[in-house]
Amino acid sequence: MKSFFLPQSLCLFFTSTVVAIDFDKEIRPIFQEHCIECHGEKKQKGELRLDAKPFALKGGHAGAAWVAGDFAKSPLFQRITSTDDEERMPPKGEALSPEQIAAVKAWIESGAVWPENLADRAAAVDKRLQHWSVQPVKVASALAETFGLKTELLSIDSFIKASLSAKGLMMSPEADRRTLIRRLWFDLVGLPPTPERVDQFVRDTDPRAYETLVDELLASPHYGERWARHWLDIAHYADTHGFERDQLRPNAWRYRDYVIESLNADKPYHEFLREQIAGDVIRADDQKALIATGFLAAGPWDFVGQVETKSDMLKRAARAGDLDDMVTQVITSTMGITINCARCHDHKLDPITQQEYYSLWSVFAGVKRGEREVNATESKRLAAEKVRLSDAIAQARTKIAKLTGEGFELASLIPKDSGIDLRNGSITKDKLGYFRDIAANKKVSVPSVPSALSVFLPNGPAPIPATSGHFWDTIANRPLNGQRSTTLGDTDFAIKGHTMLAMHANSAITFDLVKLREQSGLVAMRLTGLVGFGVSKEAAASRADFTVLMDAELKFQKLKLRKDETAVLDIELPATAKTLTLIATDGGDGINSDLLFIGDPKLVPKVTETRSTKAEALALKSLRAEAQKLESELKALPEPAKVFAIVSETKPPVVKVQRRGNPEDEGVEVVPAAFAWAKHAPVALGDNTTLEGQRRRALAEWITHPDNPLTRRVLVNRLWHHHFGQGLVTTPSDFGLGGDKPSHPELLDWLADEFLKSGWSLKHMHKLIVMSAAFRQQSGLGFSRTAAAKAAATLDSANRLLWRQNPRRLDAESLNDAVLAVSGTLNPAMGGPGYRDFNYTEAYAPIYDYITPDKPELWRRSIYRFIVRTTPHEFLSTLDCPDPANLTPARVNTTTALQALTLSNNDFMLQQARHLVTRIEKETDSRAAAIRRAFALAFQRDATATELQAAIPLVTEQGLFALCRMLINANEFVYLD
Amino acid sequence: MNPNSAFPCGQREQFVTRRNFLWELGGGLGGVALAAMMNEAQAAANPLATKAGHHSAKAKAVIQIFCPGGLSHVDTWDYKPELVKRQGKPFDVDGKLQFFASKPGNCQQSWWPFRQHGECGRWISDLFPKLAQRVDDMAFIHSMQSKTALHGPAMFMANSGFILPGFPSMGAWVTYGLGSVGDDLPAFVVLPDPRGLPPGGVINWGAGFLPAIHQGTTLQTDVEKPPIADLFPSKNFAHLRGKTEQASRDFLQTLNRAHAAERPGNSELEARISAYELAARLQLSAPDATNLRGESDATKQLYKFDHEDIGTFGRQCLLARRLVERGVRFVQIFCGAENTGAKKIRPNWDSHEDIIRDHGYWGPILDTGAAALLTDLKSRGMLESTLVMCTSEFGRQPAAQGAGKGRDHNAGAFTAWLAGGGIKGGTAYGSTDALGFKAAENPAYCYDLHATALHLLGLNHEKLSFYNNGINRRLTDVHGHVIKEILA
Repeated sequence: MKSFFLPQSLCLFFTSTVVAIDFDKEIRPIFQEHCIECHGEKKQKGELRLDAKPFALKGGHAGAAWVAGDFAKSPLFQRITSTDDEERMPPKGEALSPEQIAAVKAWIESGAVWPENLADRAAAVDKRLQHWSVQPVKVASALAETFGLKTELLSIDSFIKASLSAKGLMMSPEADRRTLIRRLWFDLVGLPPTPERVDQFVRDTDPRAYETLVDELLASPHYGERWARHWLDIAHYADTHGFERDQLRPNAWRYRDYVIESLNADKPYHEFLREQIAGDVIRADDQKALIATGFLAAGPWDFVGQVETKSDMLKRAARAGDLDDMVTQVITSTMGITINCARCHDHKLDPITQQEYYSLWSVFAGVKRGEREVNATESKRLAAEKVRLSDAIAQARTKIAKLTGEGFELASLIPKDSGIDLRNGSITKDKLGYFRDIAANKKVSVPSVPSALSVFLPNGPAPIPATSGHFWDTIANRPLNGQRSTTLGDTDFAIKGHTMLAMHANSAITFDLVKLREQSGLVAMRLTGLVGFGVSKEAAASRADFTVLMDAELKFQKLKLRKDETAVLDIELPATAKTLTLIATDGGDGINSDLLFIGDPKLVPKVTETRSTKAEALALKSLRAEAQKLESELKALPEPAKVFAIVSETKPPVVKVQRRGNPEDEGVEVVPAAFAWAKHAPVALGDNTTLEGQRRRALAEWITHPDNPLTRRVLVNRLWHHHFGQGLVTTPSDFGLGGDKPSHPELLDWLADEFLKSGWSLKHMHKLIVMSAAFRQQSGLGFSRTAAAKAAATLDSANRLLWRQNPRRLDAESLNDAVLAVSGTLNPAMGGPGYRDFNYTEAYAPIYDYITPDKPELWRRSIYRFIVRTTPHEFLSTLDCPDPANLTPARVNTTTALQALTLSNNDFMLQQARHLVTRIEKETDSRAAAIRRAFALAFQRDATATELQAAIPLVTEQGLFALCRMLINANEFVYLD
Repeated sequence: MNPNSAFPCGQREQFVTRRNFLWELGGGLGGVALAAMMNEAQAAANPLATKAGHHSAKAKAVIQIFCPGGLSHVDTWDYKPELVKRQGKPFDVDGKLQFFASKPGNCQQSWWPFRQHGECGRWISDLFPKLAQRVDDMAFIHSMQSKTALHGPAMFMANSGFILPGFPSMGAWVTYGLGSVGDDLPAFVVLPDPRGLPPGGVINWGAGFLPAIHQGTTLQTDVEKPPIADLFPSKNFAHLRGKTEQASRDFLQTLNRAHAAERPGNSELEARISAYELAARLQLSAPDATNLRGESDATKQLYKFDHEDIGTFGRQCLLARRLVERGVRFVQIFCGAENTGAKKIRPNWDSHEDIIRDHGYWGPILDTGAAALLTDLKSRGMLESTLVMCTSEFGRQPAAQGAGKGRDHNAGAFTAWLAGGGIKGGTAYGSTDALGFKAAENPAYCYDLHATALHLLGLNHEKLSFYNNGINRRLTDVHGHVIKEILA
């Protein structure tokens, strides 16, 4: 603040004596009249409020507004007396009168006493804390009292009827049985019932027939498949990373299966949440609990920003986006509050400060997304077994080499069809892609190939050429990823009797000759082989270099080898030599098409010795058999089970507030904590010394605490949303002040209470809801028929009071699965890796091209689809399947011409129509019967006379196919009453 | 809502679902209401029916040319004589800077000489000789910046205003705000580079949380494929053509009408019936729009139709003009791909190793297509009502990348240009520092570019919002200023 000077006329203020001032008479009116327009409830310029005591005492962004007893140091006084027009308050109109200024001065001097009145006390109460959703959930007995009913008389229907009758409305009659069974099947298992099951239900005279059906469906494994879809929408689950380099997450599916299995087992919901947030800590020895944490990793992740870039600033920004995604997902999915507003500033609506938002970050500060071994002990055992077998194979092979004098095959040191991952020296069967981020010349040991000292990415110095520092795939005993040819000259090195060691630029491997000599018994040796490109003739021109060092000394070098050239290796390795290094580099023009390999790389004795005794021949035979046996054992060794979940560091970094959400502008340090408004449990979740896992565990306990007012309400409302097409709160992921208010607050609480009493049982809640008369109502508007319906449509057009059930369109996945079910092709196989209905091309940014082969593995339920982020499935997206970048609590429904096109013409639909024809032809023996069967399968009812009349000429002229195709396009097929 | 609020994100408009709206509408249920419902059903079948904007519009349609990979402003639009003087001198003297992939090398002047062009005398490099002749129609924003120097997030930002995926793209927002002019074609059409998708893929033109109708529709120009996915049955079902289709469709509509008659007041059912009728119209209009055979030889020559490399982009530009002629609201053309490894030349503008090789390849492609488009639109009197914009996700560094001939990513500065639809040609806004390293005067973000484009289309970027998960979202987040300086 600039200094100010006091005009003469004001000097009297400094000399007057201190007098007692009545705040309410003299000061409060000044504030009210002159200040609160800008410093009150509506506007808070400079973040200062003078309308009520608690705010006024807090001061503004520059600190306290006054210093009691010292008017000269009080900004309030300075500003009202300033002669600078820019500074003087109030800014508009006249300055305060000398009397008013004198009163303020005197008030400050006398200690700035602000006696509290009603308004001050009211202001001290944060209205946001009176919001309905943060109040404790009312228990049934308290609710019963409100309604003047006995507790046991409360039910879903009692609440619904009460609200309806308050408006003079009533429920619609129960829907017919065919409508009910269809509704139940799609609702609970996401599939249509068979005509036979419908028939059985319609005829069933047992009064418990409906309940039996409900129990049957809740017990069906298809239930978990259906409801997992809803949860995965909220978790924004997909099987690739997203962003630019949208790489595969081949092991993400284990989390998807976890969700399905948990729902089918009716795992208590609080347990389900706890496992997903901190299962790895809560039950460290339970593989399923570890897999559950795939939830935290389910969202998108930017490989380029997290790993590839060399800029730390960009890495910090990517990490910030990552943490934001993680905390937003956890809080929004479980508690239905939006927090990411508080990333840049205190939440404008809900009582969440920016500091609290970053306190949640510190809960996850040590958590990163990544592949994790499901069973560490088993993985270790498999790795050890792999080393043992590889070693034994190498020994057998060397003995064979020694006996035959054929020489020792270098390629066989690496297990067949495997490669060495240049990043960590591990052996993998995966074909890997483009690497820009491997540290050059950093020697990495290869534990499972004892005779290989190390591998590395070469980049100078001479004689090793300088390179781009990039690499592709692995050093492999197989053709490279994308390799088009395995032939050099006239020899195909991929066929039996030949071997190949593939080394894309830029890679290098160093062998331990001492060890190889021990193994082989060879003393003086030669390295032989043929180096060339594994590319087609059409490939772009490319050059690469091949270098061989012995004891770090240059023995062979071919620079700028052309793609149509080969280089012959024949290098003498004397008995004293200790190491041999093979180096493939990019020829200075980048690594594109540098698919180098060595055909038949061998160590051969310097002088060939002939051996031919019978004993030796026998030994050779048994050695060959042994080697073969070992090799098949190695091949049979499973890859260790992994899941895309979280990798954590025990001691997470300290988190600081990021001003305006900018990672480069850090503010105060925060500690792991939850929201201060919540009173159900302590908000502290540890301090900055708390171990990583304990923080998540504390948050999981805080979220699932039985008294947390949101967690249970949010979940029962989500269930309600899916059963009625609309929640009691229509914003299922926003229970904050910006969200909707519940249509039936008491019912919501009653459900939440019931949920707790049931031990957080989802199936209990499903049954409660679908058994209600409210659920079983007709969905038709029926306004032309009854006065009651007409009144309802007028008074409550949005059906918030539920005077009928809501008609609904099938979501994309249900429609897809219904088509499969009806055509009889649905493949019921559960679990495991997702089906891939695309061609995958490995590239810097992988390419996904969708295809529609007519094959059973693609006829699994759509929950098992391998979901690609950057390239959404066109067919399903057109049908409103959401982008998995978003947390989707409620799907949007559109009706478009493109949907009409895709449903009439997409190959999937046409192929399935054809299967439906085949099915019907098998099941019927006349045209009339076929037509009737088609209607029964598609609509689960008999065709009407009018429908038959229209269908007969169509089938006669166009065939059964036309009918089948149109039935699965019909409104009746895609809508539920 | 209060457009002046610093935090418009905190306010919320109730999102009225169409169903809610219809029930409200259907409340009275007299004959009038029913009739209104039927109209609404028609509108629901085509949620892209023309909507009035917030104010009168200068532009009816937008053609956006997107150059993915990071187009180097210092080699093209942004003349930096100081960089010529500093040629070969160290750029980062104290060695503190770390770019996306490298430590900066020495100062590197433009690989092409700059000259003044047009009445306005703006400086353009020799990489763009044809666009240089159109400079009096173009307005440049030299002070563009991005929040990130990573392709994926920067692409998302340039297209949706957010560095995270999942937000609606600009084209989706525009069709959400304005609908389409005609209903025979999708309102938002995307023409990806035939070499492949740009970084970040299809979701660059996604609808995010907006209804799916607003997502960009990809038009195929490959003669082997129908212009729109599933426009017709594939060749595996080639017999499904003509009369057969008509009979099937008639049957379907008979079923649907009977079904709807039993369920009075459910307008979604009517909407779906109309959607099938619209689909049939699309089968006629889409092939007509993409059939370029009728274009004159002069036009084909203008767009360098038959040139192996330039022609593919030229055809996309021509197609864009044809689509706008037919009422398409927003056309996005990509000049560059991401994920192809077919050639040694970079598949987009991401010239890390060799500016001459990559920009030298892409330059004539952009230059020919974009200049032809401006010329063609102008000669047909369409330029006045069509806003043409050209941008990239970020720029490139004024220093060489290491010791090489390329340049690294630069989120601190790049240039975007606009022309037509209410733009004052020959102008420029903002500037970079002496070397083109960072925006200096009037720094701008995509928010400002988007706000300006929306403004020309008659939309107020602070009013165009959609409620999602607790937040009233906008294309411009909580930012954005209309750049009045470049408006006619």
